[in-house]
Amino acid sequence: MLSEATAADRPGTALLDQEADASARAAEIEFGFGDPYDPDSPVGNARLLEADEAAEISAAGERVLDELKLNADFVPREFGGRLDRLDTLVRVMRQVFRRDVTLGLGYGATSFMAAVNVWTAGSEQQKRELAELLLAGGKAAVAYHELAHGNDFVRNEFEARPVDGGGFLLDGGKQVINNADRAEALALFSRTSSAPGSRSHSVLLLRRDQLDPQRFKTLPRYTAVGVRGCHLSGLEFDDCPVPGSALVGELGQGVELALRSFQITRSAVPGMAIGTGDASLRTAVRFAVGRQLYRRSVMEIPHAKATLSAAFLDLLICDSMSLAGTRAVHLLPEETSVYASAVKYLVPKILSEAMYELSIVLGARFYVRDGEFGIFQKHVRDLPVLSLGHAGSAACQATIIPQLSRLAKRAWFAGEPAPAELFQPRTALGPIPFDRLTLASGRDGLSASLIAAVDELPSGSPVERALHGFALRMMDELRQMQEEALDLSPQDRTALASPASFALADRYAVLLAAASVLGVWREARGGADEFLADPSWAATALYRLARRLGQKLPDLPDSCAERVHEEVLRRFREHRSYDLYDSPLSA
Amino acid sequence: MGAAVRYQPAEELEARLGDPWDPDTEFSYARCAQLDEREEFPAAICAQLDAWGVPGYYVPVQHGGRLDDYEQLVQLMRVVARRDLTVAIGHGKTYLGGVCMWVAGSKQQADALGAQIRAGVPVSLGLTEQAHGSDLIGGEVAAVPDGRGGLLVSGEKWLINNATRGGMLALLVRTDPAGGPRGFSMLLVDKRELAEGTYQYVDKIHTLGIRGADISGIRFDAAPVPESQIIGAKGGGIETILKALQLTRTMCTALSLGAADHALRLVLDFNRERRLYGRTLIELPKTRSVLATAAADVLISEALSIVASRAVHVLTEEMSVVSAVAKYLVPTSTEMVIADLTRQLGARAYLKEVYAHGMFQKVDRDHRIVGLFDGNTLVNLNSIVNQFRTLVRMYRRGAGDTAGAVAAFDLSAPLPPVDPARLSLIARSGSGVLATLPDSIAALRDAADQVPALKGAVAAAERLAEAVDRVHDEMESHQNALADVSPQAFETARRYTLCFAAAACLGLWAHNHSALAAEGAQGSDAAGFGRVWRDGVWLRAALDRLLVRLGEPGGVDARGAASSGGDGAAYEQLLSDLCAARDEGELFSLLPLRLAGRREEPQNTAEGMPC
Amino acid sequence: MSIETHDLSSASAGHTAESLTTWLVDRVAIYLQRDPAEIDPNEPLAEYGMDSVAALSLCGDVEEDFDLVLEPTVAWDYPTAAALAEHLAGELKAAGKS
Repeated sequence: MLSEATAADRPGTALLDQEADASARAAEIEFGFGDPYDPDSPVGNARLLEADEAAEISAAGERVLDELKLNADFVPREFGGRLDRLDTLVRVMRQVFRRDVTLGLGYGATSFMAAVNVWTAGSEQQKRELAELLLAGGKAAVAYHELAHGNDFVRNEFEARPVDGGGFLLDGGKQVINNADRAEALALFSRTSSAPGSRSHSVLLLRRDQLDPQRFKTLPRYTAVGVRGCHLSGLEFDDCPVPGSALVGELGQGVELALRSFQITRSAVPGMAIGTGDASLRTAVRFAVGRQLYRRSVMEIPHAKATLSAAFLDLLICDSMSLAGTRAVHLLPEETSVYASAVKYLVPKILSEAMYELSIVLGARFYVRDGEFGIFQKHVRDLPVLSLGHAGSAACQATIIPQLSRLAKRAWFAGEPAPAELFQPRTALGPIPFDRLTLASGRDGLSASLIAAVDELPSGSPVERALHGFALRMMDELRQMQEEALDLSPQDRTALASPASFALADRYAVLLAAASVLGVWREARGGADEFLADPSWAATALYRLARRLGQKLPDLPDSCAERVHEEVLRRFREHRSYDLYDSPLSA
Repeated sequence: MGAAVRYQPAEELEARLGDPWDPDTEFSYARCAQLDEREEFPAAICAQLDAWGVPGYYVPVQHGGRLDDYEQLVQLMRVVARRDLTVAIGHGKTYLGGVCMWVAGSKQQADALGAQIRAGVPVSLGLTEQAHGSDLIGGEVAAVPDGRGGLLVSGEKWLINNATRGGMLALLVRTDPAGGPRGFSMLLVDKRELAEGTYQYVDKIHTLGIRGADISGIRFDAAPVPESQIIGAKGGGIETILKALQLTRTMCTALSLGAADHALRLVLDFNRERRLYGRTLIELPKTRSVLATAAADVLISEALSIVASRAVHVLTEEMSVVSAVAKYLVPTSTEMVIADLTRQLGARAYLKEVYAHGMFQKVDRDHRIVGLFDGNTLVNLNSIVNQFRTLVRMYRRGAGDTAGAVAAFDLSAPLPPVDPARLSLIARSGSGVLATLPDSIAALRDAADQVPALKGAVAAAERLAEAVDRVHDEMESHQNALADVSPQAFETARRYTLCFAAAACLGLWAHNHSALAAEGAQGSDAAGFGRVWRDGVWLRAALDRLLVRLGEPGGVDARGAASSGGDGAAYEQLLSDLCAARDEGELFSLLPLRLAGRREEPQNTAEGMPC
Repeated sequence: MSIETHDLSSASAGHTAESLTTWLVDRVAIYLQRDPAEIDPNEPLAEYGMDSVAALSLCGDVEEDFDLVLEPTVAWDYPTAAALAEHLAGELKAAGKS
């Protein structure tokens, strides 16, 4: 089944152009930064570490991104930017996150997170103005909640009181906003009615230069353990008037708009951080290849070798899931609510666990903040910041849990499989259908694609047979989950959800990751990328995911580990990225 | 022995240190947070520990100090560690500096060092080198004869705690150019007697955590040291340090217990205070499950730490296994606990000014060092793998020093002095702790006849015993892999450490429950005493957690059903015990320890917080 | 898994340095996953990847097969198979087991 949102109806040349443009753009960013180990580079690891120590965002890094006009990647093509596809945005931003999470978030991703609200529900004028602002190099900040309310963002204290004759008076504080002190545009999630319920909030888009400076102030900067260079601070308003035109979408639609925007940002941001995981793995490989211990290189120690391969597989798992999640926004927009939350829940979790394991390989070097491997601990400190606030793991699970019983009843083992394009990293897509995102879905094409694949998997070689076996186990797992999801009590759909329901959401996310891996491998078979076409990585990835589900599994054929290990080494030597794209990196 | 005085030195030290939440206290959380931010060594706090007499506890009684009980020393260090790991490590490193001497030095040498330590001279331990890390045999710092009966030391040690502050250094040096396990010696270097120019410091190393610690390198250039400063026999350095590490690895558990306590307390307070959806967070089932699970894991670590620290005295020959298990499992469990608790705090875990002086993120960073030093995770698992053959063989025969294990479990049993000569690089007779498993289960079964609440624990213990058998089968399949230890063998070793912890928990419970639960029921002045022993609450939760962590089905399993499967009641009771300990100003612990200040006030918490 | 080595348990008499060398080489070959022929009895075992911590466990095998208690560090003091075998033969003789 092909969604009408695919690019199939666009001219053929556009299909080729998208891939050529995307890979060129990713390379442009990557090579714009140059060799991270070049001691003379103003944006090399050493300088980025210094900026972090000084709690500054790298000025040289911001200049590089200004010159590359990174903001254009956040603006839809129709408003003069480069944004066509979410997976492409992830691919481009991954190059920034490979260098520095602080730049990734502080220069870029938060502007995108703010802008999505406007692309989703803003007026034509709001879209045009914001596009103009971003394309001119300006930044946008976004504030969903206050600290006192955590993820419970519908109980918001910050108010935008509607006043007679149109317009609002902003009153109260917003905390922990990236770039609060310097963003030219502000997207603020605001209480616009004192009535309880989900129709009392709205999103406002403000121009900083249009606010009465007497009526708002930037609060002191926070210091954080990670992304130390990010300008995290708060804003405080004192009956600050703003015009009615600041309203994004309709009055009282804030919660709905936020949830729809989250579907885009939650799908996209974790995949950007795969760049951080890539850099961490690369650092550990560099250490393992170069260091002699017990009369041989660390890379020859079986445990170290296995840990590095496992981290690479984790990155491929994360990228498969990120790919399916971002492409689902285009291809299966009605189903994105669950997928986006699953991506945002699981990908950062797998990445941080992989980095923990890598830290064991680095040993004491992990603890040293400077020197050749000092960048590693910075990535470890920076990465968790992605899981804060409105996109924290609990918030994401809380989005999934209430949908489980409906999915179990209607979707699992019932629906149509996802279109093949969902799993094809280089296939063109139509524009992001901002208007088609829905808050909940009764369908699940991603898990259906796993079920559909089980009968069609090859079983010629031992590796293929192993892969087939793991896929069958995943199918059994879904069946088991279906039974449990049907047993969930109504209370499990609320904040009082039992730990069992959280665990179920966790397992479902893992299953979606497995479906993504299987889909990506099936589509890669016979393709140009020999490694992706080989079942070794997919079998090992499914093995890891099944282990995560607590399954006890037969050992994999030894050839799998060897194949993956060779690839880890090849990509290190040839400076290729540790993700689905195998793209060239500067050295 | 009265309940309130069991950990008397630790309790006295805690009282002396004062309320850590009061910023006017020298050793306060606020002060430690500032020092960390400024990367400043906590000198004034260390001076306070000196003044109280902590260094005396680093020196064995026979060498003029007060150390005659490793269980007490662990508790003492735990009291320090729960406030700040930089202090605990920065100060406690003197114990590391001395320990080789206690293991292998002559009486005269050891008495002299003991006097220095008691006088407050920091002593450090110089083992690692930049190029070789945990590979001690690769070390290049050499001591060569100067032709006049002395030695000349040259080369660089790196990542050394207190390299600059220490007055003396116990140094691992190559004394045979050919190297090898007999090619090294431990040498006590008195920096104060070295001429200028014979040594220099390598810059302070900026670290992820314990930022204020004095960690650097030190480079020697033909520094003259009398040959009489060799600790023990020339060529015996590797053997000495490996034995000494058995003691220090056991002590490291105190650092993890302190960090875990601190983290758990911060998150508990937050979850009781913070309201969401009209409820406090602690009313949410998921929150309760995370906290109760963490509490159970902390008590497992504590049980293992108590047994290991007593084992120094009574299972000395088995310390090669005991210490590796403790040093692997307690720090990694604590890392896991901290990671799980982090999610409960959200942004507060990362921001420094927002909650409790940013102490949570500090605990997280600081504690990561514990898994890295004194033999990292892999080194410890590897040393267990290397002993698989003996462990399997002896387990199947029921061998191992069971009498020693019982003495380690029975807290009323007096501890004999430690005889360092009994330390051995391998546990020839296997593990007495594991050999007691059937007896402990039998005792539990008997007790369950009287206390129905224990029935579930009996079932859990029996499942654990089956798992222990299977783990030994796995060990057998890996027992010949000595050179290229496979990741699977490491995984088996990990599972072995969980089996060991299960046996330690069961043994500790079996040999103390009647005495401790009775004292608890009497409601002595130590109000919390015996709280977690009632109805075997801590044991029930601990066994369930160990089953889960072993990947065994049937407990509160990987599917996370804290309230549906397993022993949900035990977790609920444990959580309420955790809250009660907090409210009554006690350490959350298997054994009572009163904390300074009636109650600590993290922020705007109020009396009568929900639990 | 049983270890297939030459049967030289304590029951069989007449241990010589040569026979003990063969026994040791077989053992070590299993641990190092090598062919016994690859192991030169006069090369330090460390050269084959038997590190010092791993070597400690050899004393357990000796104790098991010959009922002879040795210091775990025996393989440090006699770092080649030949040297260790010679030492073993001497110890066995002293213990009256040869």
